[in-house]
Amino acid sequence: MLESKQITKVYGHKTAVDQVSMKLMPGHIYAMLGPNGSGKTTWMKMAAGLVKPTSGEMLFKGEPVGIASRERIAYMSTEPYFYAWMSIRDAGLYYADFFRDFSYDRFAELLKRMELTDDLKTRTLSSGMMAKMKIAITLARDAEVYMLDEPFNGIDLMARDEIRESIIEHASPDKVLLLSSHLVEEMEAIADQAVYMREGHLVEIDDLEELRQSQGVSMADRYREIYRHMEV
Amino acid sequence: MAKLMKYEFRKTLMVKMVILGLTALLEIVYLIGLWCKQEDMLGIGVALLPLTAFGSIMVTGLASVVILHRDMNTKQGYMLFMTPNSCYRILGAKVLENGLSILLTGACFFALGALDITLLVAKQGQLQELLDAIRSFITSIDTRLALDFPMLASFTVNMLLNWFSVVTACYLGVAISAALLNGKKLNGLISFLIIVLLSSLVSWLQRLATGTIVDFKTTFLVDAAVAFACAVVMYFATAQIMEHKLSV
Repeated sequence: MLESKQITKVYGHKTAVDQVSMKLMPGHIYAMLGPNGSGKTTWMKMAAGLVKPTSGEMLFKGEPVGIASRERIAYMSTEPYFYAWMSIRDAGLYYADFFRDFSYDRFAELLKRMELTDDLKTRTLSSGMMAKMKIAITLARDAEVYMLDEPFNGIDLMARDEIRESIIEHASPDKVLLLSSHLVEEMEAIADQAVYMREGHLVEIDDLEELRQSQGVSMADRYREIYRHMEV
Repeated sequence: MAKLMKYEFRKTLMVKMVILGLTALLEIVYLIGLWCKQEDMLGIGVALLPLTAFGSIMVTGLASVVILHRDMNTKQGYMLFMTPNSCYRILGAKVLENGLSILLTGACFFALGALDITLLVAKQGQLQELLDAIRSFITSIDTRLALDFPMLASFTVNMLLNWFSVVTACYLGVAISAALLNGKKLNGLISFLIIVLLSSLVSWLQRLATGTIVDFKTTFLVDAAVAFACAVVMYFATAQIMEHKLSV
């Protein structure tokens, strides 16, 4: 469904993503893993159409990402990105104005679960509240691909359970979920596929169940193995 | 497009409120001066209201450029560029909203000016003398100028389209800065020089097109047509750069 072909992004003298080819299939939850600067965020931004690749291509259902794919791909950036004048309600109405798959009722329901009220100004939200709000607004879309960049950043343990549940509820045979995180153990409870990245390169993609059965190792074990081996 | 314009309007609302507040304050000063025969206050109103009108139109245009710069260079740009809209549409909404805001601002100040003059005449009489004084001032600038509707209309169209070309030149400069020169040394300076160069190019083309025309009205209109054509070219160039090169 979502595929990159030899995709590269260079910023000045730094290569953020280097010739990465991978294909994400519907019906899976992918955990994109790797240390800071490994290219996870840049890859996601290219898939969201926010960053233009230096070379290679990003395809959604066989077509280059663009206006049409933005209708079907829901992206949550790790940084706050709402206009300073917006309340949570304004942000929801903004999404409702631009995304046909956005449901304000669903948004309101998710906000309630996250213990947020829509009268709050986005600029006054704590980092944890902002993280929850970003997740609620992204998951209130009925997209085909969800890309959540560091969804657990700044979120306390109790709220994490709520978020994990909300994310898992969105999994379906016709959807792709891609999550990036440093919290490997947290991701293990959600994902069924792991994408390991390092210094802009794709290291490998593992089917976690297969990994457990064939090699008897968990995602966290494999993570340690890969990055220790590579002297991170 | 209407939804994009709605949010462009919202982004510039604070600037508009400041303009409105300042104008209201000066208008109150003017009215107090007129009613209470306080010449100092009347003088402040008469001197500063036209200045505010001119400044407001300038600021309204520049605010749109500042917002485009912010949309391209800060994370809030995600809000705009992750929506399923082409850069042509996004930029078009900015241009249209800005054009309408400038028109509306101009119209409001024109109406306010007309009202203030009417009040002044009603209070102090001598309308004909006032009009004669304005006519005399205009013809003192150039004898071919006249205070009639076609002249005023062609002058207004000229001013509006010239300002439109300045704003689109700024858009192009900002887009080049964000998309092509991002992270490069002297980025800001180069972009500024590009804006100056583009504005000079438009002026040169206008001089070339109007060089032999004697009539003022025709000069205004030809000048405006050149400005408009240049603005359209710059709009397409900006949108093209954003569509293919911009990373936010």
